Amino acid sequence: MKCDEARLLMMGYLDNELTEDEIKALQEHLDSCAKCRAEWESFKELKKETSEMKFKPFPEMFWDDYWENVYNRIERGIGWILFSLGAIILLAFGAYELLEDFFLNPKEPMIEKIGVGLLILGLIVIFVSVLREKLMIRKVDKYRRVLR
Amino acid sequence: MDAKISDKEAIDACLNGNKEMYRYIMERYKERAYYLALMFTKNSEDALDLSQEAFYRAYRSLKDYDTSRPFYSWFYRILKNLCINFTNRHKRLVRMDDYVQTATLDLGEKPDELFEQNERSAIVWRGLKKLDDKDREIILMKDFNDFSYQEMADALGIPIGSVMSRLYYARKRLLKILQNFKGDL
Repeated sequence: MKCDEARLLMMGYLDNELTEDEIKALQEHLDSCAKCRAEWESFKELKKETSEMKFKPFPEMFWDDYWENVYNRIERGIGWILFSLGAIILLAFGAYELLEDFFLNPKEPMIEKIGVGLLILGLIVIFVSVLREKLMIRKVDKYRRVLR
Repeated sequence: MDAKISDKEAIDACLNGNKEMYRYIMERYKERAYYLALMFTKNSEDALDLSQEAFYRAYRSLKDYDTSRPFYSWFYRILKNLCINFTNRHKRLVRMDDYVQTATLDLGEKPDELFEQNERSAIVWRGLKKLDDKDREIILMKDFNDFSYQEMADALGIPIGSVMSRLYYARKRLLKILQNFKGDL
């Protein structure tokens, strides 16, 4: 085994990612190569030091509501989709009612009716989307009171 | 929770409408997700919130997830993007910087910000801070967030051989920095 290959295998050995055969081959190389052996000892020491670095502990109750919060977000996500769809349908129906005379007038050209219809529908979708975004950001953004 | 249920089984059940099965995934990865977010935000409350949001977003995108790949490496990208957006947005709002800096995986401004106080740990912490972002990221993924090589390869989009090679050079550079510290003492 060449030193280049041994260097990569050292990482695998350090991180418990090697097979028995690879470990054996690496050990044979380390037994015969003083330079790699010295390097290996330094890496082992470094690994020991990083593994001794412990994150600050957190209270036992920390995880109590974790799943409930994720689950609620999932449920509310579906709620927002339904809210958006319902709002778009209702607003589109309202707009149609308001402009019923225009849409039912046979003298108005069809292309104009399609254009006005798409324009109104687009505006409604944008309105609902912005409304939803504002409501969601307001709910989750704790920095909303910070002046820009 | 039944540890025998695999990620794939749980995710397939979720895709068939059984939302409760997502709990298996979340229980399995919540601590790693939290600590990963903590390394971006340096704040426990934000890390908790962002890791939960990442689980929600991952659930929403489950249909795009390839179950033949490790879940955590896919989830890592979602959480990392959320943390970067959050950190940059936060920086803008509180006017700490005149420019938007790209947030990176890091260990806080002081050694005791995230870690239990320990003299030797503080030295390693200083060494890690001196590394460039790429070297630091790969060491933190492995040594502080328990990534497997397969997970790292998937998360970073590189072969496992490159993961080992990047780890080798990153650790080598860290060792050199630590040796210089000893020389300074």
